[in-house]
Amino acid sequence: MTAVAVLTERIVRDTLRDDLPFAVLAPAGNFVIFNLALRNVIDTGGISYSQYVLPVIIVQVTLLGALTTVDRATRDQQSELGVRLRTLPISTVAPLAARMLYCLFRGGIALLATIAIGYAFGFRMIGGLGYLAAFTILVLTLTLALSVSADAAGVWVAGTSIAREGGSSQILLVPQLLLVMLSTGMAPVESFPDWLHGFVRYQPVSQVTETLRGLASGHVEIGNLTTTLAWCVGLLVVFGALAVRMQRRTQ
Amino acid sequence: MSTSPPLRSSLVNESLVFAGQLLTHWRRAPIVPIQSLLFPTFLLITYYLLVGKSIMKITGTDSLYGLVPTCAIAGAFSGALAAGLTLCLERDRGLLSQLWALPVHRASALTGRLLAEATRTLLSTAVITAVGVGFGFRFHGSWLALLLFLLVPILVVLVFAMAVIAIAVRAKDGTTLIWLGLPAITAVFASSGSPPVESLPSWMWPLLQLQPMQPVVDSMRKLAQGSIPLESLLQTLIWTVVMTAIVGPLAVRGYRAAAQAGGARG
Repeated sequence: MTAVAVLTERIVRDTLRDDLPFAVLAPAGNFVIFNLALRNVIDTGGISYSQYVLPVIIVQVTLLGALTTVDRATRDQQSELGVRLRTLPISTVAPLAARMLYCLFRGGIALLATIAIGYAFGFRMIGGLGYLAAFTILVLTLTLALSVSADAAGVWVAGTSIAREGGSSQILLVPQLLLVMLSTGMAPVESFPDWLHGFVRYQPVSQVTETLRGLASGHVEIGNLTTTLAWCVGLLVVFGALAVRMQRRTQ
Repeated sequence: MSTSPPLRSSLVNESLVFAGQLLTHWRRAPIVPIQSLLFPTFLLITYYLLVGKSIMKITGTDSLYGLVPTCAIAGAFSGALAAGLTLCLERDRGLLSQLWALPVHRASALTGRLLAEATRTLLSTAVITAVGVGFGFRFHGSWLALLLFLLVPILVVLVFAMAVIAIAVRAKDGTTLIWLGLPAITAVFASSGSPPVESLPSWMWPLLQLQPMQPVVDSMRKLAQGSIPLESLLQTLIWTVVMTAIVGPLAVRGYRAAAQAGGARG
């Protein structure tokens, strides 16, 4: 077995009880709660709220998953085991690659769980297999982009007093909340106060959820798709390069 | 060497010392201020911006009067949970046992902790209410009503904190606390009036009426709107007394056992 496989297996075993269950429970719980709470409150025009809200549930779960990635990266970086791993004759990016493989695995499970619960509440992939494939690829790309950013952030704060208290991910809790709640993923832009429309319309979570909703229904706007891809690829390239650089830095 | 008997007032003084120690500790660890203050405040802001206009269109009432109490209580709960997470660590590092060995009143570690929880809750309720005022929340009741409005979250969080302590000192790590936190915070939000109860499935209505957070949020809402809701306050009090009778002894016994065990690292 290669180093990456062994390290990935280590993370999966480690998280079997405390993180992986939430990859299933968080989307299921959030979907049920938001759907119950808002389906008769938010006016989504023609489509049902379960069809409307599912993409933002996926994005939110991906963001929350990325928060746990921040903590995991911090822990790996500052633990004795992390120091030991850097002395072994393996690639210095092997621990990073293992964490990213785990994030994709977690993201895949969360996506399956979300779509399963969505189907139970009336969500449908109307577009067909091609669009389903594009939907899956986009979600996994987003997962990887956010995970690699989270990893870079986690390694960056490792060693600070915040990280020692185990609270690195906490700093990102509020930005995550703002992006998810104030997006067109939760409600059409008209539901928000007028002064907020600009932010709600153009912020990345709105763009990404709009693309995902488009893929689910089989109609995607090219301009919107380009924006979403630009965000995903941009995050991936910029933070991917940073994350790899962080791994090479010696103490 | 002669030892003088402990002063009769030592419980009060030592509780204050313990409370001060915890408050300092919480202030320095980012997780407690974030969970008890920052997160609920932004939850209030974002949730109100999200549903405020739609709820106003449907019911014609301002959802802020339900959301301010909801976020105050939910914030107090998540703050207590965050404090509980550090309790697990303190037990494992042996800190609880070190404090147990000090020549202080045995109850003061727990009463001090509850005092710190109460102080934190008072502060965060005040801040969240102030943010609510910024969005148009107006307190219509008397000074007595305002006092009760600030006291209700404290009363509730004391019981919740005892439940957190009872679980945290027994749990292997903090993950178990999530199973207490999720249903509790969901129950608080279910009482907020946003969404209106009528928009939820009818089989849920009796559950929503009977769950313990309903009278709590309802009494705070009515206090803010200018009446003294005796029935809701009485129900809150009964829930508090009953739950304290159950979780209080569990917390005390569990804390004693954890403190006497000496920590995971000896």
